[in-house]
Amino acid sequence: MKARIPELAKRLRSREISAVELTKAYIEAIEKLNPTLNAYVHLTFDTALEAAEQADQRLKEDDAPLLCGIPMALKDNICTDGLPTTCCSRILKDFRPYYDATAWEKLKALGAVLLGKTNMDEFAMGSTSETSCYGAPLNPRNTNYVTGGSSGGSAAAVCANLAVYSLGSDTGGSIRQPASFCGVVGLKPTYGAVSRYGLIAYGSSLDQIGPLANSVKDAAIVFDAIKGGDKRDQTSVDYDYGSSLAECLDRDVKGVRIGVAEEFFDGINPEIKAKIEDAIKLLERNGAVVENLRFPALKIALPVYYIIACAEASSNLGRYDGIRYGHRASSYTSIDDMIVKTRNEGFGDEVKRRIMLGTYVLSSGYYDAYYKKACLIREEINREFDAVFEKCDVLIAPTAPNTAFPLNYRGSGPVEMYLSDICTVPVNIAGVPAISVPCGEDARGLPIGMQIIGRRFGEATVLQVAHFYEQSAGKVLGDYEGGAGI
Amino acid sequence: MAISKTEIEKLAKLARLSFSDEELERFTAEFDEIIAFADTINQSIEGGTDQIRSVGARMVSFDDLRPDEVMPSLPSEKILSNVEGYNGFFSLERSKK
Repeated sequence: MKARIPELAKRLRSREISAVELTKAYIEAIEKLNPTLNAYVHLTFDTALEAAEQADQRLKEDDAPLLCGIPMALKDNICTDGLPTTCCSRILKDFRPYYDATAWEKLKALGAVLLGKTNMDEFAMGSTSETSCYGAPLNPRNTNYVTGGSSGGSAAAVCANLAVYSLGSDTGGSIRQPASFCGVVGLKPTYGAVSRYGLIAYGSSLDQIGPLANSVKDAAIVFDAIKGGDKRDQTSVDYDYGSSLAECLDRDVKGVRIGVAEEFFDGINPEIKAKIEDAIKLLERNGAVVENLRFPALKIALPVYYIIACAEASSNLGRYDGIRYGHRASSYTSIDDMIVKTRNEGFGDEVKRRIMLGTYVLSSGYYDAYYKKACLIREEINREFDAVFEKCDVLIAPTAPNTAFPLNYRGSGPVEMYLSDICTVPVNIAGVPAISVPCGEDARGLPIGMQIIGRRFGEATVLQVAHFYEQSAGKVLGDYEGGAGI
Repeated sequence: MAISKTEIEKLAKLARLSFSDEELERFTAEFDEIIAFADTINQSIEGGTDQIRSVGARMVSFDDLRPDEVMPSLPSEKILSNVEGYNGFFSLERSKK
């Protein structure tokens, strides 16, 4: 049985267990399971134990924060002062940032214990975490399958109880889809709700940091801790969510209007469709009102997403030239040659593919036909979301059209893999919040995720509906055996 | 729209990347498929995108900018600590003519 944050916080305060003992239990589990699962790519046990000792001191006082002494993990694209942050790319292999990302700075100030940095697709580009230069993490529920991506290591660590919670980042589904594949909860907050300072950029108008956890309440507790405006990220917003979202979860769903758009269910695996429909019926039996809606822009959201994300990536990744940080080619004939060789050696195929697409859609002669048009359609998608949220409070959809892929699955090529992001990318395009909660398993025992999407800064409603579902649905997944025995 | 190897080479130059002949072959085929996928935005909107009126990038607001104040920055030794072989200056191999 995996421990939840409130329960662990209680046990830490009653001295039933110390933060050092708790951290050691997680370290032991990581040492045992990580060589197989490859969820972590950098382990920070020394600093974890120091942080745990400090947390024990702080826990002697009555007002220690809820997250004090709780062991956790960070995706390897979230900057940690003095500790490796590589985006799982050869180009950043020895990079050690000299500052903390705001989200991590906030958790550290609350006494969080960082166990390590988690595996991911190189520069967060992928849906399986297999583009990592450290090799793929394996799905703890069945090691013949992928974890999903790009925050695959963060999802695997939480699923296997190698961390109580973790942070990931979501540009087109990178928190929600691995959460769905591994059977954990993953929240992509509203664009601007959490500072992106110190998150290594992929698509800056889409990227957002969020929590992965074993319960909706844990995700809400972590979101409460990391949200807020930041001077160092001009797109962040100091939105007033009230005192604590985690404390307002216990509401029922009577009268909550749930939107269901048929477009989200087109071409979805029938097992997934059936589980989501069961979940919707459960909410309906408990007083929610189902509104059948249309979302015609869904299909077009996918090429729009890839055009915008790759355009931004080609610009953001222009900084990797081998001069100020990261890998540098060892032999070259000129500065230009050095930059080209450095980037060729440093980036993997998928990253190169996306840089090339981004360069193409921004290049003279194609800018109007692709990038500008995609930005215009983005406006249309935003308007469609606005119209939908006039008729409902949340939209319910599958998180992914499929459960976890087998390892090394390539389909018919890169585009088939891109198509699997269909249910998650519209959320990033519009900057709205969404959560993935487990709602069952397929015939192979692989988890299925349900996505609950809300209006901008509507995290309270999204979390309440997700919490209500989680509490009323009971056990939807088989137990995971292993991990820290806490 | 089929994309030629010459176009891919030109794009690679713009992106500061280069490909071997074998990579170029594979990449050109993949890229064709990717561009065809990106092209679907042109087919999907009935009546074309001219009908879509841009309301401006609503993610960014310029009404609430902070004052332009000088704030402390990180020390340069710390910022340059990741530079390979940094010794008070950047050292690179001499360019060969």
